[in-house]
Amino acid sequence: MAIACPVDLDIRKLRDEIRSIYARVASDPSGEFHFHRGPDYAAEFLRYDRAALAQLPVESTASFAGVANPHRIAPIEEGSVVVDIGCGAGMDLLLAAKSAGPRGRAIGIDMTEAMAEKARASARAAGLDNVEVRLGDAMSLPLEDASADVVISNGVLNLTSDKAVAFGEVFRVLKPGGRFLYADIVVANELSESIRKDVDLWTG
Amino acid sequence: MLVQAGFRDVAVREKFDTFRGTSKERIARKYGVTGINVFARKA
Repeated sequence: MAIACPVDLDIRKLRDEIRSIYARVASDPSGEFHFHRGPDYAAEFLRYDRAALAQLPVESTASFAGVANPHRIAPIEEGSVVVDIGCGAGMDLLLAAKSAGPRGRAIGIDMTEAMAEKARASARAAGLDNVEVRLGDAMSLPLEDASADVVISNGVLNLTSDKAVAFGEVFRVLKPGGRFLYADIVVANELSESIRKDVDLWTG
Repeated sequence: MLVQAGFRDVAVREKFDTFRGTSKERIARKYGVTGINVFARKA
């Protein structure tokens, strides 16, 4: 199974396209996209708790574009330091912050300035002061070694150009015994070289 | 890949039909694209 990009894939174009698409999701979540978004999708397709989502600011749930549900993998304990890689507008980040509680911390990382701002605004609107959002890249996390109890990520690492590097970063920032609650997409059949070189298909 | 990165207790816990009803549904079905929840632990 291929875990790295084709050698002639334009990585810069890929990153620019990703930033562009998700900036658009942040600014106009009701626009036309090739993937589902929003709280109804999260509840109906990904089994998020509707009541829990209803307690979050609309700014965080409307732009949600995850692909699975890290909160169903294992509980996040009170007092945990949780990192959300690719936090987007903050839906998963805020849910994690609520689970971690006032003794814990939730740190969101996103490479899109528009999404990072939206996540910060959502945290303020939710009255959560245990949330921090940092601009950053999944392949070079702005975090110290062994600083997180839990790492979550939802539909993000599949967009990286080298999954081995991305997984290595998750491993680096987790404390010994720390847990990775990883939500993403997988393919059952090997993708052709032409498919793997198509930047449009990378971003959905 | 996760095991190679050093993780232990790696397990797929749940799957989701993420692209059902989207314009990419047909290509997703062709390549067996699904959403998954995975648990992993750093030893």
